[in-house]
Amino acid sequence: MYGGDEVSAIVVDLGFHTCKAGYAGEDAPKAVFPSEVGSIDQMEVDDTDKSDKNSGSALDSKSKGKRKLYVGSQDMGFRRDHMEVLSPIKDGIVVDWDMVENIWDHALSSYKLNIIYLTCYGAISVPPPNIKLKILLTGRKCLLIDPKEHPMLLAEPCFNTQLQREKSAEIMFEKYQVPALFLAKNAVLTSFASGRATSLVVDSGGGSTTVAPVHDGYVLQKAVATSPVGGEFLTDCLLKSLEHKGLPIKPRYAFKRKEIRPGEFQVVDLDFPNTTESYKLYSQRVIVGDIKECVCRVPDTPYDETSYSNIPMTPYELPDGQTIEIGADRFKIPDVLFNPSLVQTIPGMENSLETLSFVRGLPQMVIESINKCDVDIRRELFSSILLAGGTASMQQLKERLEKDLLEETPQAARVKVLASGNATERRFRVPLVYYNCNRFRLMLETNLSVNTAFGSVGAYWHLLVPSSKCGSPSLSEFSCLSPHALLLQIYIYSRFINLYAVVMTGMKSMELLISNANAPNMLSCSTY
Amino acid sequence: MAVHDDCKLRFLELKAKRTHRFIVFRIEEKQKQVIVEKVGEPDQNYEDFTASLPPNECRYAVYDFDYVTAENCQKSRIFFIAWSPDTARVRSKMIYASSKDRFKREMDGIQVELQATDPTEMDLDVIKSRLSK
Repeated sequence: MYGGDEVSAIVVDLGFHTCKAGYAGEDAPKAVFPSEVGSIDQMEVDDTDKSDKNSGSALDSKSKGKRKLYVGSQDMGFRRDHMEVLSPIKDGIVVDWDMVENIWDHALSSYKLNIIYLTCYGAISVPPPNIKLKILLTGRKCLLIDPKEHPMLLAEPCFNTQLQREKSAEIMFEKYQVPALFLAKNAVLTSFASGRATSLVVDSGGGSTTVAPVHDGYVLQKAVATSPVGGEFLTDCLLKSLEHKGLPIKPRYAFKRKEIRPGEFQVVDLDFPNTTESYKLYSQRVIVGDIKECVCRVPDTPYDETSYSNIPMTPYELPDGQTIEIGADRFKIPDVLFNPSLVQTIPGMENSLETLSFVRGLPQMVIESINKCDVDIRRELFSSILLAGGTASMQQLKERLEKDLLEETPQAARVKVLASGNATERRFRVPLVYYNCNRFRLMLETNLSVNTAFGSVGAYWHLLVPSSKCGSPSLSEFSCLSPHALLLQIYIYSRFINLYAVVMTGMKSMELLISNANAPNMLSCSTY
Repeated sequence: MAVHDDCKLRFLELKAKRTHRFIVFRIEEKQKQVIVEKVGEPDQNYEDFTASLPPNECRYAVYDFDYVTAENCQKSRIFFIAWSPDTARVRSKMIYASSKDRFKREMDGIQVELQATDPTEMDLDVIKSRLSK
């Protein structure tokens, strides 16, 4: 499909739960692995540390570099003593860049050939060559690419801050030395992927649920609504609920399953006293997450205890061979999305949403978000509500949301909820096709011209398109210029000067604004 | 993404001379430009137009809709339709959605804009309900 002259871009979407990476132009990501990272402190492990598994502040106090990080499904699937499971993302914002670097390393990985010479000493019957050359490709586990050769597209959450974007750009340019970088809001990518420039994107992912209106390819920042109820939260609800019913979930590492006779298995419990709580929870979540995906279904009407008390049970076979039956929870857990106050009835989760009064159900979030938008586009938003993210691919969610919205929307609004027909596509909210679209292409071209114009100066440059009409601080600096889609903002960074170049592609002219007083006197460039 | 001159010319003809009922545009991926795929005669109707949109591929289209107002007055509206059916490839949906803005700017004189993913989103009732604006 792709011509030989095209260098395909790499797309990376670091979500709360999973990190997705792949080549632009393909339908599904090449690499999908957990965003959570296993960490072992290289110093003496003291037990008080263990309780802080979820608090971001604990991370900062730890001396970095003194710990060993494990990334990827395989590394995470293997139990290690004292390995804590930590997440680099908190409330949708990256709190630990060290981990993010490790995750990116794992996803892309640089060409690092560690050539290890192993000398073999006898003990092998066949005489081997006395020096064996073994090439270890460190870290080259996923995409196996050299980031220097590929333009990079990073998907970022709608509420990403300027600081976050700068930091990701810094790492991408300085560490990976990517030739071009684009940060795109994931809601915009979702919207484009369904062929719409205007839509309301309901993104229910692992860590949170975000409702973001997109208009003409821009996120309307002020109308974005978020709630902490995401897939992970539902998984925890289900886990607690099962535990309360006397069905503890045994993590996979905690037992061994042996086939004593054909078709007959024996489970031997294993005891690892040095396993951390967070790793145990992680392993349990893997199992419960699967239970959730297999049996849970959004109820057609709001859940209530009495009418669901005698619905048929659905069996699920746990990894240890034990079969559990799940009844009302099948419907109750997903309904938390629509009615968050339901968590108060789940034992062990009562206090999990301290700010419960601020958390609204999905339909309310949608309506609230649309009502914050301009009157003229509300109608269009109502008729193109797009579902994205893993949790949104839950069975019957689309139908229920449509039904609830129809009941609550004013008069003549046509409500239409759209979901990608393909569940895999929906899960990986950001399809990997963005590179070819105009704006990114344009940027790459612009990029080259800038490079020649400032061959000597432009050591690093950041390309960032202001992706929000409102709320993007960088845009306001150029408020004299029309905040139009084609206004590209190029940040040129170098060690000595900081200059902003504004390229008006329509007029084919370039204006340089020197933001740093120390900068040498470099002005308008006519070569473009 | 470039826009072929033919697109602008045909659109001007539709707008000023009214020699076409509709125009269907297509993105030629290899040449990276928008070209005219089909032009409709003035006597063709809306059914002919919808029939000319492929069910599995994205297109841009312009339709000149004639109608009579409640005050019995002959009027016409130029509709721009971004057609991207669910069954189209994600890649092409992305390209069409992201190039739309640029393309629309070349078409000066569009009065109503629609985006449609299935035929129900652009049937006559929808068209009529958008006329009042």
